Amino acid sequence: MQVLNLAHASLYMLGAYLCFWVSSLLSQAAGSFWWSLFAAPLLVAVFGGILEAMLLRRIYDRDVLDQFLLTFALILIIGDLCKLAWGVEYHTVDTPWPLDGPVIFGGLVFPKYNLFLIGCGPLLYVCLWSLINKTRLGSVVRAVTYNRDMASALGVNVSWVYTGVFMLGCWLAGLGGALVAPMSAVMPGMDMVVLIDCFIIVVIGGLGSISGAFLGSIIFGLVTAFGILVAPRLAIAFGFILMIIVLIIRPWGLMGKPE
Amino acid sequence: MMSEFLKEMKSGKWIAVLVCVAAFALLPIVLQEGYLSLVNEMLILAVAACGLNLMMGYAGMVSFGPAGLYAVGAYTTGLILVYTKIPFWLALAAGPIMAGVVSVVVGWFCVRLTHVYFSLLTLAFSQIIHTILFEWYDFTRGDDGIVDIPVPSFLSSITHYYYFSLVAICVCLFVLWKIVNSPFGKTLQALRENPERTEFIGINVRRYQLAVFIISGVFLGIAGALYCGFNKNVFPDFADMMKSTEMIVVCLMGGIYNFLGPVVGSVVYMFLDKLISSNTHYWPLVLGCVIIALLIFMRGGVVGFVSEKLAPRGEERG
Repeated sequence: MQVLNLAHASLYMLGAYLCFWVSSLLSQAAGSFWWSLFAAPLLVAVFGGILEAMLLRRIYDRDVLDQFLLTFALILIIGDLCKLAWGVEYHTVDTPWPLDGPVIFGGLVFPKYNLFLIGCGPLLYVCLWSLINKTRLGSVVRAVTYNRDMASALGVNVSWVYTGVFMLGCWLAGLGGALVAPMSAVMPGMDMVVLIDCFIIVVIGGLGSISGAFLGSIIFGLVTAFGILVAPRLAIAFGFILMIIVLIIRPWGLMGKPE
Repeated sequence: MMSEFLKEMKSGKWIAVLVCVAAFALLPIVLQEGYLSLVNEMLILAVAACGLNLMMGYAGMVSFGPAGLYAVGAYTTGLILVYTKIPFWLALAAGPIMAGVVSVVVGWFCVRLTHVYFSLLTLAFSQIIHTILFEWYDFTRGDDGIVDIPVPSFLSSITHYYYFSLVAICVCLFVLWKIVNSPFGKTLQALRENPERTEFIGINVRRYQLAVFIISGVFLGIAGALYCGFNKNVFPDFADMMKSTEMIVVCLMGGIYNFLGPVVGSVVYMFLDKLISSNTHYWPLVLGCVIIALLIFMRGGVVGFVSEKLAPRGEERG
């Protein structure tokens, strides 16, 4: 969409909070987590759609500074609203029923839930990639990104496409948050951690490329993991160094296209 | 250059400047110490924002990581004062020099890129600086920050430090004003408007961009060093994204196409900060709403907004 959205990480946090909220509301019912995994991303998507229609739509044609500031303002607002609604303390979500406990795999002990997440990643990637590259809807989206005016002249309702794509992005962010909720504590400030990681990943992979984001996150994960082994204290810096190298050699990212 | 200055003096603007400076100089008589330190903080933020604005408003290079260089200035001064017996003045001067040196390195990489990539790289560098300050526990004391930095006794009272920083800030603003109105400053504005054409008339774009990056870094370093002397404590927070955004918001609030815009922005920002955070814990919530309102209703910032309303109809504003 060529919009710089910093607030994405806040939507991720919102997803985690909503997952906690819904699953605690339904704590009596069986499979409460699965209901909240379904509901939380949808709620985030609806919220994102409202944001897009009310605010973000106004700044698409402005320069990157305005986009940076507007979405940063949203980070502040969403962060504080989450604090208002759910307080500043930690929340935890129990690991859901079929996936709790470990699994033994060739002598190594793995939590089942982690394996589930490892499976989810590629699955989502494949779904998203085929949605954008193989379906008619995807070609419309690509046309709009490539040339708004031309797509509009051909009868595409550009603003609906923007809202739709943005909502899809928010749904994914919310899903990410909901999926991570059983693994880590749900608390204020969890957005900033992901924000910076996502930023690095997207820049490494190339802005506007789904495959790039996927590749970028694998590389980033490996580099930080090995970084922790080599120099634990500077592990955070490794990601940035990687990003700087990529930006200097290929400013458009590994899988992106030069402007 | 001298004749230009004299011309400016004759135009009567200097009276306004003099009145402003005199008003600031008289403030300690009227205000309580708490408010005085708020004004002091405002002025230091104004220097940082003006330094950033030289790059952002005049040269059109949007930096997302000014706080990194600001923190370099603050930490250099702080570390020198804590670990060595070097006199205060030299330590204060070392802050901007170090910030300048760091911006040579950072700038050398950054000016290779344009648009959003430039901005992202500045953000990455400021995050690296933040990581170093945060993680290098033995030297920078990490999260605890450097506390109780020794300051000469005659500067330890708020009033004295206020006068000291007022003088420093006036000098900084004067120098910046000279830079903006020099041929160099005009070239920067040409760069902002159209880099390709500026290159065609024989200007080495990257060299100019690097120069403005370093100058802006030095002023951020000055602000950092002054703040270090003022606060007597420095923390890794000085380099984080929140601080960078604060500076950008200050510039934007005041109006980035006006020389004094950031100063006005800094006054408005600090005033709002004080007013709102004394009433509620949710200052970020309100700040967020203020930013959105600014972006949607007041695109030229306070100064731009006022001058637009005051300008005669049909006249383009500068």
